[in-house]
Amino acid sequence: MSIQRSGYSFDGLPLEEVPNGTNLLVTGPALGGIRTLLLRMLLRGNRREGTLFITADTDGPTTLSDYAAVGGDHDPMRVGVVDCTETGVNDADRNVHAVGSPNDLTGVGIEFSSLYESLYANGAERVRTGVYTLAPFVVYSSVKPVYRFLHTLTGRIRTADGLGVCAVDPDAVDTETLTSIAQAFDGRVVLRSENGRMAIRVEGLADQPDGWQRVEF
Amino acid sequence: MAGLTIACVDGDPEARRKTQDALVDGGHDVVSFGTVAEAADLVGTGDVDCVVTEYSLPDGTGLDLTSRIRKHSPDTPCVLFTDASPDRIDSTRHENVVVEYLPRDTPDAHDSLSRLVENVVAQRTQVGYPLPPEEDERLAALAQYDQPGLDTAEAFDRLTALAQHRFGVDVAFVGLVDAHEERFLACAGEDWESLSREDSMCTHTILEDDVLVVEDVDADPRFADNDRLDELDIVAYAGVPLRTRRGATIGAFCLTHSEPRSFSEAELTDLRRFADEAMEQLELRRRLAEGDDGETWSAQSPEADPELAVETANESQDDSGGETS
Repeated sequence: MSIQRSGYSFDGLPLEEVPNGTNLLVTGPALGGIRTLLLRMLLRGNRREGTLFITADTDGPTTLSDYAAVGGDHDPMRVGVVDCTETGVNDADRNVHAVGSPNDLTGVGIEFSSLYESLYANGAERVRTGVYTLAPFVVYSSVKPVYRFLHTLTGRIRTADGLGVCAVDPDAVDTETLTSIAQAFDGRVVLRSENGRMAIRVEGLADQPDGWQRVEF
Repeated sequence: MAGLTIACVDGDPEARRKTQDALVDGGHDVVSFGTVAEAADLVGTGDVDCVVTEYSLPDGTGLDLTSRIRKHSPDTPCVLFTDASPDRIDSTRHENVVVEYLPRDTPDAHDSLSRLVENVVAQRTQVGYPLPPEEDERLAALAQYDQPGLDTAEAFDRLTALAQHRFGVDVAFVGLVDAHEERFLACAGEDWESLSREDSMCTHTILEDDVLVVEDVDADPRFADNDRLDELDIVAYAGVPLRTRRGATIGAFCLTHSEPRSFSEAELTDLRRFADEAMEQLELRRRLAEGDDGETWSAQSPEADPELAVETANESQDDSGGETS
């Protein structure tokens, strides 16, 4: 079986494989583990996969360090970051591309498309994309460009047989907006944290475990 | 997806010709322009499916062009196909336009461009609003109810006038939500004819199972920064989706008011009745227009009737049984 025909798997997480082109919304408390969950879901299944981060809550170098801490390797030919923090700086050696502000959705989209293409040009056969988190994009921009940005992001991932994982803390955005942006995703992974015990539940995707599944980071 | 009409914008005639040739080879019609001003005039009419533009143009940039397009034809997707690397692109004045970007030095760039254009058009990736999950099927269903000669005006004028009186609101209307705009079949209290889909609140109503109520748009982040609603003096809104017999949502029956207000359960029950009546009128007219007495309608194949195809698809996903006619 060729790599393109199989879906994306998540080693060590209670998630079954998801089809190529799937976009997932990961929701949960920011301090309750969604960052680690997203980083784990972005671990490359093999060396031919690429990984692309769009970060707005933490800068590029921190993201790559945290990725390494959960077991991610940083091959700059196959792993890169679009850094949307105010303090972000370009770092060609580490494949970090700074936009300067999460307000600049046009700039974020251009850097994303450019980096996506370059990972393919460097030999990646498919790419996992992670957004941490959606909140700054949603909170600081008006809704129309946010929808455009999300459709553009998820559309490119869908047609390229990629995987998209976008994290958001529901407490950081209003309920109406969260409900309407969720339309752009194929399914949701909900993380809860109670008394230090974490569990996830998958909504909207077929062939996944039913109910809450314990996770440990 | 061949047969698109694509605007190709590039100040360099040779580069423009190569891009144009590649898109024509992909089966598309191409109109070419050398400047922002030339392109903006035509693209603003909405007759173009997609715009492919170089970043640097003689009288501005591809983002200047996109910004103008967003004002007049906001759903039209734009692709920067350019030699300019991202760090040479100044997006600071156009942070909200959002475009696709494809470098000319991408391997097999012209083939990639054709595929990208087809994808952004088919998937509607640059629309500034949420999309229903089965949008193509929804539009196919809408086409069955939205034909010349159905002559709903008088009936809906009466219905919306009754609703305006019943609820004591500024405006009551029936609107159909098509691919890019909402068109009003009747509008008591105003003379609105159409509204772009990204500005229309019914864009959100058609995602609802039942009813969308917004007591104060300024307090709802989905609408608070929508200047068009200010211009139309819409502060409060209640809308019920118009749903075909098998679940395709084609429009909405709505009320708007210039002051914040709530809607009681009794009022919402009546609003649902108005919506049911409007949908019944549309259904009857559709059958009359097709010379269909209802019995023959049920015998049509999905291939002959897109609305039936939607219904059949819904049935196959949901074994609840569905209606028979």
